[in-house]
Amino acid sequence: MEGLIEDLTRGNVTEVKVVLATVIVALAVYQLVLAAVSYGKVRPRLLESGPATWAHRAAGDTILVLAVLVAIACIGFYGWEEGGAHALFGCLLLGALAAKVLAVRIAGSSSPLLPWIGIALFGLFVATWWTSAGDFLGVG
Amino acid sequence: MREPPSQMTQIVGSLLVALAIAAVAVAVVTAHFGPTSHAELEGREERIDQRVDAREERREAAAERREEQAGR
Repeated sequence: MEGLIEDLTRGNVTEVKVVLATVIVALAVYQLVLAAVSYGKVRPRLLESGPATWAHRAAGDTILVLAVLVAIACIGFYGWEEGGAHALFGCLLLGALAAKVLAVRIAGSSSPLLPWIGIALFGLFVATWWTSAGDFLGVG
Repeated sequence: MREPPSQMTQIVGSLLVALAIAAVAVAVVTAHFGPTSHAELEGREERIDQRVDAREERREAAAERREEQAGR
């Protein structure tokens, strides 16, 4: 597994992980904006609730795929040792992602839990990024 | 008041904004790394090795010329 990840990233495992994690966090911020438009909390002139919801789902699916890829690279290459807070936030994050997918599938998009899971998810994305990529970039 | 753009335009616009955000994030982080990527570091080491080899060859050629001149 380690060799495969190293081959795929051409030896730049940490750099690729940091780039992908930063893209995820940037998109997560955008997701908050789209969710606010979707729930009618913000009403910009150029974007209505329906298209915002659609874009929120599309970006969310992309984030989900990227997050799983980063998690595989992280656990597959670095393992569980010396994970500390990053490992804890990462595990909670994957749990929250699974909870959000389940909430959408079971209760539908009108579930009152969704905004809270979404906010928790955003916080966990930032915390996980901060304890790894943020450190690496010198901002964490 | 102006009509808002069509739903399809709004969706495409939203997705383009997401793409732009991702592109900016990649550019900013990559710029922050600078020449720390494995490939670039390898390239840099290779260039240094080539320069050292070339210098060594020039030095050897100069030493040979000096020996030839001394032999005459």
